[in-house]
Amino acid sequence: MDRQQEFVLRTIEERDVRFVRLWFTDVVGSLKSVALAPAEVEGAFEEGLGFDGSAIEGLARVFESDMLAQPDPSTFQILPWRGETEQTSRMFCDILTPDGEPSAADPRNVLKRTLAKAADMGFTCYTHPEIEFYLLKSQEPGPDGAPVPVDEGGYFDHVPGGVAQDFRRTAVTMLESVGISVEFSHHEAGPGQNEIDLRYADALQTADNIMTFRTVIKEVALQQGTYATFMPKPFTAHPGSGMHTHFSLFEGDANAFYEAGAEFQLSKTARQFIAGILKHAPEFTAVTNQFVNSYKRLWGGGEAPSYLSWGHNNRSALVRVPLYKPGKGQSARIEYRGIDSAANPYLAYAVLLGAGLKGIEEGYDLPAAAEDDVWSLSSAERRAMGHDPLPASLHDAIRTMEDSELMPQILGEQVFEHFLRNKRAEWQDYRLQVTPYELQRNLGIL
Amino acid sequence: MSLARRLIAAGFSDLEKGERFLAAPELEGLEPERLFAGLQMAASPDTALQSLVRLIEKHPELRDLAAADPDISEPMYRVLGASEALGEFLIRHPEHLAAFRVRASPEPVQSDPASLREVLLQSVGADPRAVRPVAAGGGTDAYAALRTAYRRGVVDLAVKDLCAADPLDFLPSVGAELADLAGAAIEAALAVSRAEAAGQYGTDDVAAVGLAVIGMGKCGARELNYISDVDVIYVVDPGSLDDARASTIGTALASGISRAISSVAREPGLWEVDANLRPEGKSGPLVRTLASHESYYARWAETWEFQALLKARTIAGDADLGRRYEDAVAPLIWSSASRDGFVESVQAMRRRVTEHIPAAEEQRQIKLGRGGLRDVEFTVQLLQLVHGKADENLRRRDTTSAIAALSAGGYIGRSDAAAFDNAYRYLRLLEHRIQLFQLRRTHLMPVAEPALRSLAKAVLGPFSNERPHPDALLATWQKTKRSVRELHERIFYRPLLNTAAKLSTEDARLTPEAAQGRLAALGYLDPKGAMRHIEALTAGVSRRAALQRQLLPILLDWLAEGVDADAGLLAFRRVSEALGTTHWYLGLLRDSNAAAERLCHMLSNSRLIADLLEVSPESVAWLGQDKDLAPVGFEAQWQEITSKMSRHADPESAMRLIRLIRRREILRIAIADSAGLLDQDQVGAALADTDRAAVLGALRVAEGIVSASGPLKTAVLVVAMGRQGGREIGYGSDADVMYVHRALPGFSEAEAQEQAARIVAKVSTLLTQPLKPAIMAERVLQMDADLRPEGKNGAMVRSLDSFAEYYRRWSLIWEAQALLRARPMAGNDDLARDFLELIVPIRYPESIAETDVREIRRVKARVESERLPRGADPARHLKLGRGGLSDVEWLVQLLQLQHARRHPELRTTSTLEALDAAARLGLLEQDDAGLLAAAWRLASRIRSANVIWNGKASDLLPSSRRDLEAVARWCGYEPGQAAVLEEDYLRVSRRARGVFERIFYGQ
Repeated sequence: MDRQQEFVLRTIEERDVRFVRLWFTDVVGSLKSVALAPAEVEGAFEEGLGFDGSAIEGLARVFESDMLAQPDPSTFQILPWRGETEQTSRMFCDILTPDGEPSAADPRNVLKRTLAKAADMGFTCYTHPEIEFYLLKSQEPGPDGAPVPVDEGGYFDHVPGGVAQDFRRTAVTMLESVGISVEFSHHEAGPGQNEIDLRYADALQTADNIMTFRTVIKEVALQQGTYATFMPKPFTAHPGSGMHTHFSLFEGDANAFYEAGAEFQLSKTARQFIAGILKHAPEFTAVTNQFVNSYKRLWGGGEAPSYLSWGHNNRSALVRVPLYKPGKGQSARIEYRGIDSAANPYLAYAVLLGAGLKGIEEGYDLPAAAEDDVWSLSSAERRAMGHDPLPASLHDAIRTMEDSELMPQILGEQVFEHFLRNKRAEWQDYRLQVTPYELQRNLGIL
Repeated sequence: MSLARRLIAAGFSDLEKGERFLAAPELEGLEPERLFAGLQMAASPDTALQSLVRLIEKHPELRDLAAADPDISEPMYRVLGASEALGEFLIRHPEHLAAFRVRASPEPVQSDPASLREVLLQSVGADPRAVRPVAAGGGTDAYAALRTAYRRGVVDLAVKDLCAADPLDFLPSVGAELADLAGAAIEAALAVSRAEAAGQYGTDDVAAVGLAVIGMGKCGARELNYISDVDVIYVVDPGSLDDARASTIGTALASGISRAISSVAREPGLWEVDANLRPEGKSGPLVRTLASHESYYARWAETWEFQALLKARTIAGDADLGRRYEDAVAPLIWSSASRDGFVESVQAMRRRVTEHIPAAEEQRQIKLGRGGLRDVEFTVQLLQLVHGKADENLRRRDTTSAIAALSAGGYIGRSDAAAFDNAYRYLRLLEHRIQLFQLRRTHLMPVAEPALRSLAKAVLGPFSNERPHPDALLATWQKTKRSVRELHERIFYRPLLNTAAKLSTEDARLTPEAAQGRLAALGYLDPKGAMRHIEALTAGVSRRAALQRQLLPILLDWLAEGVDADAGLLAFRRVSEALGTTHWYLGLLRDSNAAAERLCHMLSNSRLIADLLEVSPESVAWLGQDKDLAPVGFEAQWQEITSKMSRHADPESAMRLIRLIRRREILRIAIADSAGLLDQDQVGAALADTDRAAVLGALRVAEGIVSASGPLKTAVLVVAMGRQGGREIGYGSDADVMYVHRALPGFSEAEAQEQAARIVAKVSTLLTQPLKPAIMAERVLQMDADLRPEGKNGAMVRSLDSFAEYYRRWSLIWEAQALLRARPMAGNDDLARDFLELIVPIRYPESIAETDVREIRRVKARVESERLPRGADPARHLKLGRGGLSDVEWLVQLLQLQHARRHPELRTTSTLEALDAAARLGLLEQDDAGLLAAAWRLASRIRSANVIWNGKASDLLPSSRRDLEAVARWCGYEPGQAAVLEEDYLRVSRRARGVFERIFYGQ
């Protein structure tokens, strides 16, 4: 047994932990959890915990449903919201096939593979997400059928005695106590909308953190009698919830995106990385924006970027290069603004990094930066400047992804297939719906 | 004697230059006899002479040494002749010429490491007695002083090395002294680095930080080369400082060491200090605390990193800290053999021995490749790791003493150990002498003849009577490489055999536990079972047992390379027992390495072949000769069948013979396939020929049975359909067929029909019914006539007229499609011709209606959704799945129906030929056709591989890693590429599906 495993077992013993939850993620990014009695943990380290994978979306083929979940002891955490008595803890798991090979269908493994590829090219990847979500009075919609936010505040508003402020304080404390550092938190533009920025970390750790973050936020909201949602676009009238993410690559100790004296202090590597993302963005949009609802955010105006463009501190661009602060070469980074809060972070980061790395590998050229507000241009102007649109609907995104050669390379043929199958089914379901909009608009006159 | 002859006798290569230099004014007046006596000792007299002239030019006082008695001048001549680089060094630093004023010793003594350390530290003005010595100053002056002192040490060592009576004997001491010298240089570099760091971080803080330099690799093992990177790991002790500060200072000290040793300066750098073996490699911090090292090794390190730690030794800096590091990592090394993935990592290591050698260097490599130094080191380390856990005596760092310990402990045979040790020393000596000449890091044998000539002389000791000659040198080297290759297997497996065969030799014998541990490390999953088989194979005094004791070491190694070593060994035992003492079998094993290797490879990778060989072991004889493995064509098989049938008239024995011939030919094809003698297309054709002979035989027997009770009333024709028609079948495919008959003159249609039905039923039974005694391991040929008119509801056999009538009235498009691959297989030739003529307008129609095209598409879509077995993943189904065989075939057939009337090139039963023709006619894009062909070939290949690997037909891409690994190897992938095959198949089939959908469904 290694030290880390020993540490976990000792903590379980000393802190009288009663339950150990094993966490993993299915292809759409839902958190799955299996509870273990403390006595079973040692066995799970050694041999993994057998479970029936066929019940989990995208994880296994029906005929070989036996899978193993092997906990990663370095992710062990006591879960604070379960209280001091009967403590509960969690560990993330890697999913293995019965032969003990990493499962090709485990999203966490997909990201690990992409990171390994980056490492082969000499890079370590850091990410830092800004996660937006809405706080609602409850899960139930109000009398008008729309959800009811907890307040009516706006961007950076200080809402006196506000539920949201209280909420953020408790949430941030709890996040810190599970080892997730919070950089920043504030009220966002929509009523009841909040943003919490996590401190930058290694991409795999960030993805793990996002999964934990969602759980923590939901738990805290429940404790306070409210409801938190990461739905991309819960309100027609208010901005959607994005998960802008900053990316940087390091070669050893040096930031590979930084080059003193270059335009925007952007190195060639950074330019190729951005070019890779822009070129392949339409192909991976189904991953970064994976629900029917995601496209209501993407095309609903507000700050959501819907066209392929990049710019220096240009908030209308899909890829933004933040303003360079002199002397901060190490913090050079780029921000992808397309992802929404409901993406599967493992797959979303894998495709983004993979696309960027492809750009570096193939030495893509970066088009000129967008200096204007891309939204205010006419569509002919946009076309002239090469700002092609992202897919307009989940259906479009699926079709574009189906034709991609890069996506199956990054995701692996198996996840690629499972993912598309799942998304086609979702689109199919959606198409069957008769929406309130249609009733309201057509019923009275037809 | 003329001067030229004298020069030749002294070993000069360039006579003209030699003469010129001898005439140099610097040598004027020197006694020629003395000069030649000296030059004769030099490995390269040319170089020695040139260096000597240049030295005297600057330092005339050397003239007396040049003309001194050879006993006195020996060190100088030997060093100048063996190393151009050291000559250059002395020209730069005449103050060190004193190194030549020593008496050459035939039995030199290795220098004391402490005194080397003292000399090097003093060279930079540091106090050797200080706990943490600090140099008098830093900068390039200090670097130059340090490097000069180090090189002087190398000169002293070269004198001893070159004058030693037996260089092989002295070799380990050379490696040890070089490592000590390197350690001393790093110690002095650390002192310089401390002096430099004091300026930046303050004397007290720098002094507070402890730094231990751990030597890894050859330096750690004290078997360093003359010139080589020195691998190190740094451990820092913060002392009174906080970790961050200590780590900053420690990093500065470590970088300072590197700078002092290798940065650009007046006196050139020594070698690279390479810290890449540290935790996390290049991306990890340069220095770590002991605790940080411990936590890394406990949590993150991979198996190979523990193997690297086998060599770890403190070479400089804080000795106590270093010792604590060694104590902390030692237990990890010895438990590494029981870690997960050890066997895989061993196999990967072993592949690394032979990988990555540029082709141009392959013939010249001393270090890499089979029979190279790395091969020896790998073998020794593996045995240390496997047995060192239980036996502490094996815990040695360097190769020579590890070999001695393995031999003393009985883990390898004494004479094998001696031979291995000798080979290792010889290869190292070659490497030393080559490197010494220019002090360049190289592991390549020189090419030019002068270089070879001086090398040949340099590896002989001073007292050798042999005449140095380039050819002799190369011959000895090749012999050594060969002996390493052979010893390799003997060393692994010979002691196992001694244990198994319970030989009472005094030679190596392992305990049963040790034997099993070793087998497990080499890839046997059931070492106990393997020991039992080895026992059975080697026990006794029979000639076979004796021969197998000789051969098994290498056979076991070949078997272990297969996916299922255990099954391979079991099968080998069975074959061997079945063949008993057959003289040719023993001869084959003994005399034909290639055949024995092929046999092992097949037995451990193929259940199909193993099963068939067990029941027909005599087929092993084919392995010796490729010509015996060429498929026997249909004509030859048919001839054999007819001649046997004439001798065995009764149906039962005739059928037995026919089916035995088919079993035999399938085995022959499988073996040829596994030996890489046939490609997938040839395999399909050969198997189809074999089936054809069997079907024709069965038809003749059936006719014989029926005509025994009356006249033969009709002629029957068997028409192959489907993949059988296209000669594209795999092992164990069914035969898709249709039966046609035509009444013989004088018999009514009804009589003929009745008899034809009986004949046809008989054919099918004859081919499949169990015989007594049973034909073991036979893959029975099932006849499948479902493609006949009206499918399962139609008559089993129809007359030609009835076919004509049927097609005129009813013919459905899917029947036309099926006929595309109709190929007469057995029966009456006239009937065959008439039948083919009959179906031309059906299968190659004038035009095909839009409704028919739609119908074909509809049927295909239905097949896709209905025929796939329940629960099967369409992406992995080779036949009916996404982009699988049937997608490609349907697409091709649609094109044939549409265009074959106008383009006779398309009239073929073969999918690949039709695909190719369609591309040439422009009916398909070249790229699309290529992709479809690739997908079709890979799917076919995987189906065949499934049967070869586990003897069972399966239409699925395997999902268990082991099955996938085996199938991947049969598909031509390197070991360890299972996941690559999986990705490749899923990718090519996904793309093929894209093409299919676009063209077939017109999307």
